[in-house]
Amino acid sequence: MSEQQGDIASGYSISIYALSEKALTVVFGNTISERLWRQVSSFNQLLKQNPFPGLITTVPAYSTLTVFFDLIQVAQSDLPGKTCYEKVSGYLKQLSHSAPGLAVQAGKHVVIPVCYGGDFGPDILTVAQNNDLTEKEVIALHSSAVYSVYMMGFVPGFAYMGGMSQSLSTPRKEVPQAAIPAGSVGIAGLQTGIYPIAIPGGWQIIGRTPLQMFNAARQNPALLQGGDTVTFKAITIDEFNAYPV
Amino acid sequence: MEISIIKAGLLTTVQDCGRYQHLAEAIPVSGAMDQLAHRLANKAVGNNDNLATLEFTYANASFKALSPILIAYSGDGALLTYNGEVMPAEKPLFFAAGATLTFIHNPHGVRTYLAVAGGWEVPEVLGSKSTYLPVKFGGFEGRKLAAGDVLRSSEAISTVAAAIMQQLSSKALIYPNWRISRESLLPLDRKTIRVVLANEFSWFDASSIIAFLTKPYQIALRSDRMGYHLSGKAMVRKTKKELLSTAVTPGIIQVTGNGDLVILMADCQTTGGYPRIAHVAAVDLPLCAQLKPGDEISFTEISSDEAEELYLQQEHDLLLITNAINIKYTNTI
Repeated sequence: MSEQQGDIASGYSISIYALSEKALTVVFGNTISERLWRQVSSFNQLLKQNPFPGLITTVPAYSTLTVFFDLIQVAQSDLPGKTCYEKVSGYLKQLSHSAPGLAVQAGKHVVIPVCYGGDFGPDILTVAQNNDLTEKEVIALHSSAVYSVYMMGFVPGFAYMGGMSQSLSTPRKEVPQAAIPAGSVGIAGLQTGIYPIAIPGGWQIIGRTPLQMFNAARQNPALLQGGDTVTFKAITIDEFNAYPV
Repeated sequence: MEISIIKAGLLTTVQDCGRYQHLAEAIPVSGAMDQLAHRLANKAVGNNDNLATLEFTYANASFKALSPILIAYSGDGALLTYNGEVMPAEKPLFFAAGATLTFIHNPHGVRTYLAVAGGWEVPEVLGSKSTYLPVKFGGFEGRKLAAGDVLRSSEAISTVAAAIMQQLSSKALIYPNWRISRESLLPLDRKTIRVVLANEFSWFDASSIIAFLTKPYQIALRSDRMGYHLSGKAMVRKTKKELLSTAVTPGIIQVTGNGDLVILMADCQTTGGYPRIAHVAAVDLPLCAQLKPGDEISFTEISSDEAEELYLQQEHDLLLITNAINIKYTNTI
């Protein structure tokens, strides 16, 4: 928490580039780290609490926050600057200096129940053998860490998460599996993730969650958002089957 | 107003101006590939730009009016015919119930938009009526149209649409004497695409950048609503830097691991990790939407200020068109 406040008190060190006429990307650094993740998340919150005229939406990523806007509204706004790029980038730079000490509203914490192993996690033994662990140890390690959602991408509702124990690291499969069921929890290298929809993939599948990670019919279609934290909780097959969805 | 699809063609989906509010959840923009043609078809029937149209891919499609209909079409993928006669584009067209309309081949492009007064009525999903086929949501039951599908318009039509209907039906006309000039909004040369160099362009060696801006590139077979692969001189990296995945948007030109160029289009993923050499000027993205495999294009550089100015100028011209139609039919702006 103190590190978080420290970041903001000292302001953000950013650079900005144009992604298109209608989007700018704010760059906070060029590594995957908790520190940059906090900066991206908190600046995202700061911007949402202090929107400029024409702001449409933002997309956080590992070390960047991309800001989409309506060019007409920006052009007609009284933001200082000759071009829309100057208007928006000027506003973002000013925002990055101002508001020190603003309380950062963290993302939500989500507990994801997972039925590990068995038919739902056919590759859990591969992960165990690759790391000289037992199946139980794999489950204990995977379900004891706190993960940070760095960004969403790849397919709707897919969260790129950091924080997995290095002792679970397992290479992807050489040949991708034709269809991995929605809710499957997998490991690829140092990453862990959950397949929000049924798609082909090469991750080592260690379990499945009964939660719907993505549902276009919901108001918030994706269960996770950049800035959230996640823990996994082991459940039995009976608990999985009885899970209210 | 109601139509039934007799032949659906290669790929026909419901689209609008796109789905922007859920990019952070990795939900793509989608929407009409050729936003200009989509908007002009809407304007011609007095609709707001964002109302849903049908996006047809090439021709080989036909439909029947199940009620009197006020429609308009725009784009380069097909020509609309009635009783063997080609109907003018970017103009309101009025047909009685029972009329059968057929899209025939137009060699100039790929996509054609069919607007109806009031817009095609499908449920709004996450703030848009656009179809996102890869995950099967939005549009008409999340799928492409098939023979036998019946599409209805929203009952709420604009006063302009009502006035056009009144004008045409009372005089037993198919269309009025005015039309929107789409040509005046497009450059003469539709195969030279204006681009703005992107953040990572300096990652490529000078001869690659020169080739990119001077040599012809061909649209490859692997081209769809997600993106177009290009064949031509491959880009050579002069640095081994890696780009951390970050947001991308339609129009961005990525360079894949083997140096190939890919133009991202409407259904592209929301983030990507390939370095980007340029982005297509927003005003030229509709030109890209009409490119088909085998077409030869070249890129020419403009500044980001120029791209912004071109966009604002085009939006101004589009506003004048809307105002002109409104004045003509309702004496209001």
